[in-house]
Amino acid sequence: MGLLRLSHVEIRVPDLELAVAYYTEVMGLFETGRDGDRVFLKCWDEHQHHSVVLTYAPVYGLGHVGWKVQYLEDLDHYQERLEAVGVLTKRLAAGEWGPGHGEALRFESPTGHLMELVHGMQQVGNLLPLTNPPPRPLNMVGVAPPRIDHVFLTAEDVGAATEFFSDVLGFHLTEQVLGDDGFQIATWLEVSHSSHDLALVTGPNGGLHHFAFWVDDWNDIRTAADILAYHGVRIETNPTRHGATRGHCLYFFDPAGHRNEVFTGGYWVDPDEPPVIWTEGEMGRALFYYDGVVNQRFLTVHS
Amino acid sequence: MGILRLGHVDVAVVDLDLAVAYYTEVMGMLEVERDDTSVYLKCWDEPDHHSLRLVYSPRMGIELMTFKVEHSDDLSDLENAVSRYGFPVSRVSKGESVGQGESIRFETPSGHVMELVHEVERVGRLNGLLNPRPFVDGLPGIAPPRMDHLLVTAEEVGEASAFYMDVLGFRLTEQLLDGDGHQVATWMERSHSPHDLAIVSGQNGGLHHFAFWLDDWDHVRRSADILAYNGIQIDVGPTRHGITRGNTIYFFDPLGTRNEVFTGGYRPDPDFPTITWTEDNIGKAVFYYEGELNDRFMKVHT
Repeated sequence: MGLLRLSHVEIRVPDLELAVAYYTEVMGLFETGRDGDRVFLKCWDEHQHHSVVLTYAPVYGLGHVGWKVQYLEDLDHYQERLEAVGVLTKRLAAGEWGPGHGEALRFESPTGHLMELVHGMQQVGNLLPLTNPPPRPLNMVGVAPPRIDHVFLTAEDVGAATEFFSDVLGFHLTEQVLGDDGFQIATWLEVSHSSHDLALVTGPNGGLHHFAFWVDDWNDIRTAADILAYHGVRIETNPTRHGATRGHCLYFFDPAGHRNEVFTGGYWVDPDEPPVIWTEGEMGRALFYYDGVVNQRFLTVHS
Repeated sequence: MGILRLGHVDVAVVDLDLAVAYYTEVMGMLEVERDDTSVYLKCWDEPDHHSLRLVYSPRMGIELMTFKVEHSDDLSDLENAVSRYGFPVSRVSKGESVGQGESIRFETPSGHVMELVHEVERVGRLNGLLNPRPFVDGLPGIAPPRMDHLLVTAEEVGEASAFYMDVLGFRLTEQLLDGDGHQVATWMERSHSPHDLAIVSGQNGGLHHFAFWLDDWDHVRRSADILAYNGIQIDVGPTRHGITRGNTIYFFDPLGTRNEVFTGGYRPDPDFPTITWTEDNIGKAVFYYEGELNDRFMKVHT
C-alpha cells in the first residue's frame, strides 16, 4: 500500500532529437512511444511503458516527477491527504496524459515541483522473455542501465519539504545533513527500503539537481565513465563514493544541461530505522566520501 | 504492512566452538551474545540483535526461520490467517527469546518451524548513525553486510508455496516447472528482491542453504579467495544464476550446512510477472555459466 518507488521523470529539452540521441545511444534507453513533442523512453529491465519522458520546450528543466503506487485506491487516499493540507490535485484518466500512461493524481508540491502518483501504467515487459530468460540482453548500446533509481530536487526550505513528503506521502527519512544551527541542509528519503528514492538539497524551489539510473556495480560505473567520455559527454565528477547512502556514483550532464547520475550500492533499510546524521563539518564526506570537500559546483548548478 | 524480510535463521550445530570460529573468523560475523547452548551472531550492517543463532545439538539442521513484520498488528493478522488455514499458532512472550519481543510460531506445510516477530532488540549498525563511514575496515573474513535469504526443501513444493503466498503474502517471482507443469522449485519475495524464501523439492523440514548478501561481483571474488585460503569446501562457483540473475558461490560450513554468498538480481514491483523455467533448461536456470547441475547441489542438504 502506498508509494512503491520512483516511476518516471519528465524533462523539458530545447532540442528533442539531440536529447533522444543522447538518451538512446549514449545512455542506452529504449524508445517506447512518441506523440507530437514528446518521446517516451524506458530502461531495459523496466516492465512499464516509460521511466523518462522528453518533452520539447524552449527552456530546459523538470517537467514532472511520477511515483508508482501499489493500488488504484492509493490515488483516492493521497488525494484526500494532499487536499487536507491545502494542496490542489487533479485526476488524469489512464492514457490521458500520454501513450501507455496510467491513471494519475497530479499536484504541485509545496517545494514547487509538479508531481504525480500513478497506477496501472501499461506493462510492455522488459527485454527478456518470461520463460527461461538469460540474465541480460546482449548488444545493447551505451550505458544501458537496468532501471531508473532516484531523483534529487532543490527546495528553499528542506525541513518543511521533508516534513511534507514524510507526513503526507509516507516517505521515510534515511539520512540528513544538519547545519550547525540544527537546520536540515539536505535530506534523503525512501519508500522502497533503499537508501533513497527522493533527496532534497537547499536551493530554489522547483529545481532539479539530478535524476539517477541504477547500475549493477562499481565495475559498471567505470564502464559508464568510459562510454560517457568516449561520446564527449560532460562528466562532472570522477567515479566516486557518497558518504550519505554509501552509494558509488558518477555525475554528468545530458546535452540539454540536466545532471544525470549512475548509482549503485547503498543498503536495505527497515521503515523504523532511525536516520543517519551528517554534521555540517562533515558535509564534504557526506556528499563525496573520497574527496571529503564540499564541491561548490555540485551544490550550486541545477536545472 | 506484513512481512518485511528474513530476520534470523536458527541452525543446530554439533560443535558450537568450531561453528563460532568459522562464522566469526571466516564469514566475519560479529558475536552479539551467548548462553550455555547458543551463540547469537550478526553481520556488521544489521541493526537488529542477530541474524544467525547457532544452537548446540547432537543433530544438525534448521530449527527455526524467523521473518520480521512491519507493524505489531501484523502479528495478530497473520496469526489469524495461519489459524484459519488450520495450522496451530503459538505465542512466544517477550523475554522468552533472546534479543526479541513477542512473536508467533507455527509449523508450515513444508515442515519448517516459522516465526514472525515485530519487536527486535536494536544493537545498531557497526558504523553508527553519526557521520558513519560507508564501510568497515579491519573485520576478518568475508564480512557480508547482511543476511539475505534462505532456500528450504519440501516434499510438495506447490502446496508449500501456496501456503507462503496465500496465507503469508509472499509473491512468486520465479518458478521451475517439470514436464507435467508441477512446481519443482519456487522463489518468493516480500522485500522487492528476487527472493527472500525459496523452496526446492526434497524432504520436508530440510535446509538447502542460507545466504549472505555481498556488495558486488568483486566482493564475490574476494570471498572465493578467503574461502579457499581457509580450506573451506566450495560446492559451486563463483558463478551466476539464471534464476534471480544473482552472482553466487556455494560452500559448506565446517559442520556441513551449506552457505551462499549472493549479489545482484533485480527489484521486482508487487505486480512483477512470474518468470517460468522449464525442466529442460534446469542447468542454465540454476547455474547459468555451467548449464548443468552437480549431484551434490541437488542431493545434499541438512
